[in-house]
Amino acid sequence: MPWQDFLRALGDRLTWRFAWRNAGRNHRRTAIVVSATAVGVGGMLLAMAINFGMIFEMVEAAINTEIGDLQVHGRGYEDKPALEVRITPQSGGVEKLLAGMHGVRAWAPRVLGEGLVFSPRTSVGVRVLGVDPDREAKVSVLAGSIVEGAWLDGNLRRLVIGERLARRLQVGVGGKLVLSAQALNGDMVGEAFRVRGLFRTTSRALDEGAVLMRLDESQALLGLGGDFSELVLRAQPGADLALLQKRLRRRLGGGLEVKTWRQLEPVLVAMIGMYDQIGWIVYAAVFVAMAFGIANVLLMAVYERIREIGILTAIGMTPSRLVAGVAVESLLLTLAGVAVGFALGLGSVWLLRDGIDLSAWGEGLHAFGIPTRIRPVIRSTDLVAPVAVAVVTAVLASLWPALRAVRIRPAEALRHV
Amino acid sequence: MLEAQAVTKVYETRGVQTDALRCVDLQVGEGEFTALAGPSGSGKTTLLNLFGALDAPTSGRVTLEGQDLAALTASQLAALRLAKLGFVFQAYNLIPVLSAVENVQFVMELQGVPPAERRRRAMQILDEVELADLAEKRPLEMSGGQQQRVAVARAIVSGPRVVLADEPTANLDSRTAAQLLDLMEKMNQERGVTFLFSTHDPQVIEKASRTVRLHDGAVCADEWKRDL
Repeated sequence: MPWQDFLRALGDRLTWRFAWRNAGRNHRRTAIVVSATAVGVGGMLLAMAINFGMIFEMVEAAINTEIGDLQVHGRGYEDKPALEVRITPQSGGVEKLLAGMHGVRAWAPRVLGEGLVFSPRTSVGVRVLGVDPDREAKVSVLAGSIVEGAWLDGNLRRLVIGERLARRLQVGVGGKLVLSAQALNGDMVGEAFRVRGLFRTTSRALDEGAVLMRLDESQALLGLGGDFSELVLRAQPGADLALLQKRLRRRLGGGLEVKTWRQLEPVLVAMIGMYDQIGWIVYAAVFVAMAFGIANVLLMAVYERIREIGILTAIGMTPSRLVAGVAVESLLLTLAGVAVGFALGLGSVWLLRDGIDLSAWGEGLHAFGIPTRIRPVIRSTDLVAPVAVAVVTAVLASLWPALRAVRIRPAEALRHV
Repeated sequence: MLEAQAVTKVYETRGVQTDALRCVDLQVGEGEFTALAGPSGSGKTTLLNLFGALDAPTSGRVTLEGQDLAALTASQLAALRLAKLGFVFQAYNLIPVLSAVENVQFVMELQGVPPAERRRRAMQILDEVELADLAEKRPLEMSGGQQQRVAVARAIVSGPRVVLADEPTANLDSRTAAQLLDLMEKMNQERGVTFLFSTHDPQVIEKASRTVRLHDGAVCADEWKRDL
């Protein structure tokens, strides 16, 4: 059967050695194919690395700034994020609840409420975040994002706000603000605070619309007692979040919801998936364009070797072996291009390892939660896609010239000079 | 061994038909050293190509050891050529990307002969054609005569029943041509391989034990010079 003969020929060292020698016989032509493939693959690899670098920075920023690796809420919080849906610690508190929980690096409770903050000049609707200053510093970068003043400490009646919010309220560090909110029992409550510090993060929503205060003060203000709204957890590096989530659910019981960052930020997850799909499509488009170039080069090679094909046929080479030879030659040229492309792409990524400074577009990027310095990221799967697409392309591109080669009658080929 | 029965071959180029062979009947027996002689366009190469299963007749029948070549597929014809036929062409016989020894080994590689065995046989035959010292040279590094001798070595090494040689001396000077003919005669006598040449070289015709003369696509004479 021709197919069996073809597959046998593909696995034959003779086919590979012969194709290797043929690929190397016209250096200029080989260099053109390899260069074209290399530039395509290298360029794509770099583009994908920058794209994924940006997305991963966004994910990292979201995890580090606010959401953590996992969050625990009272059941129904996702549908109705209100004070009523809260976590009431059992006796012994959260410490007892999470004792011996392998894979948890840090945790912090938070109170989440809504309120109105008044400065002497204006007022702004805000999210109220009650945090444990010490624990919060271990689960998020908020404590380290202070650009003016200081992070929350033991001093009472202090707020930390975003510098954007400070501009809107026209206050600075030490300025006085009044926070008004609806407590758990429905009463309107309010208290005066001093601004202790200003922070700047990658989250515009946080910078423009959140006030941070001590957990105990927020619980007292909103009438929550010892309850809180969410528990943020950071996992040990490399921990399996799904497994950790399962174990937490078992430990915490059915009254609470445990979600990973993937469930909390489905938009980011969708973006990663979308970029993956786009990557495949763009790779396919690049390789289809290259396939015409490869086919053209191989066709020229076949026409140059017509007499040689006649001799090979005369001495007993089967049509299937001829096709396999052209296919392997195409594969070798393409894979050489992919290898050089990898070197180019990985080299470029290494050169950009300190990140690309996009601060010139900082305002616009901040609106989407994109950091202004992007470090390109190459995942192992980014190296699989071009190889897979290249192999398919190389074989398809070789079919036309290979079939032309086997259609030449031996006697006719031998007349060719 | 080889037989053409009422073979005709018509080429058609842009609607113009040319009779290359006209009702040729010819038998070539085992161990013959036969020349197909005639002027250019007489049909020598065409007949050789038909015997070598490189082309198909327009009508008539070509057989090799009783096997009708028209009944075989392209792959079966390739297998038949690999097993039973050897070829020596006028020029550019060798695969340029392979060395002399690799060219000689190539057919055996296609036949699946183990590497050590094919290397041994290739070096042995190159030694016989006095080219062992050029075994690693590529065709472009060898003279025309040396290339033709490598081609003979390649044609012989796999143990074919018949070697078909299309004007093998056409591009060689008379001394080199004589050496090549001596070599092929030696192979014919020592190994019993049948040789069929197409030629218009008097040196080849002189050497051949039988000369079949063609003119305008037809056999016009069949001369035996000595008994085999």
